[in-house]
Amino acid sequence: MAHPDPDLVFTALAHPARRRMLDLLVQAPGTSVKALASHFDFSRIAALKHLAVLAAAGLVLSEKQGRTRRLFFNPVPIQEIHERWTDQFGAFFAARMTEVKQRVEARASEKKHA
Amino acid sequence: MTREGETKAMFRIHIRGSIEAVWREITRTDAPIPAFFNSRMDVARLARGEKLAMRTPNGKYTGVVGEILELVPLRRFAYTFKFTNFDDPPCRVAIDLAEKDGGVEYTMTISELTPGTKSAKQMLQGGVLIANTLKHVIEDGRPSFGTRMLFTLFKLMEPFSPARCKSEHWPVS
Repeated sequence: MAHPDPDLVFTALAHPARRRMLDLLVQAPGTSVKALASHFDFSRIAALKHLAVLAAAGLVLSEKQGRTRRLFFNPVPIQEIHERWTDQFGAFFAARMTEVKQRVEARASEKKHA
Repeated sequence: MTREGETKAMFRIHIRGSIEAVWREITRTDAPIPAFFNSRMDVARLARGEKLAMRTPNGKYTGVVGEILELVPLRRFAYTFKFTNFDDPPCRVAIDLAEKDGGVEYTMTISELTPGTKSAKQMLQGGVLIANTLKHVIEDGRPSFGTRMLFTLFKLMEPFSPARCKSEHWPVS
């Protein structure tokens, strides 16, 4: 069995709040638990539960700095899943396609807001 | 946040293998290290305070230089890290190993990165490849096909390396 279990990774990614937590950690690596929890309407206890799910999947790593626990996004489990179904050629063309999509959508968004 | 004006990243992977094999792979100086973009680590002595250089397999060019900060066999290897082709300040790399679930938990922490620099971009992109390549080398005996293709590309591109990267400019002793 792969380590961590891919089921744990899929479960962790299946919740919008947990995906948002990863977005926030990508934007601000080293965010404290308290600061991360402040972005959500639910309680700190609920935030800790979500973080525990992300940590079990290996998607969030933490480091103690004094009394504060700093959080970091670990992209490796997602890369392992990506490699499972994507060969190098597929990855190349898929990456080009997503680039085109992002560029076109960014331009459309700029026009909309102009 | 991390320290003001700096960013930090952590990468962790579980490798089915012995801690001795992983340690040997990340500290070897007798052959190129696939996990470190197939570069050959050059040191006068593998010890704290010594300079290190990551050179191309033939030794002509040097991509990275640094200084060993910590060396705790089978546990921790930490060093400063600076790309020779960028003027960015050095960052720090710490590799921690721990035996876990019948294998090895490999954690790489990159700190003191200056956000927005070319070095930061390269390091953040490279962390996943380093972790994955090390796993492939220990578990399968060699890097993945895609990574091997990348090494071939590096070899082809070598003559186009900037003159400042020539190893004669980056001695370790």
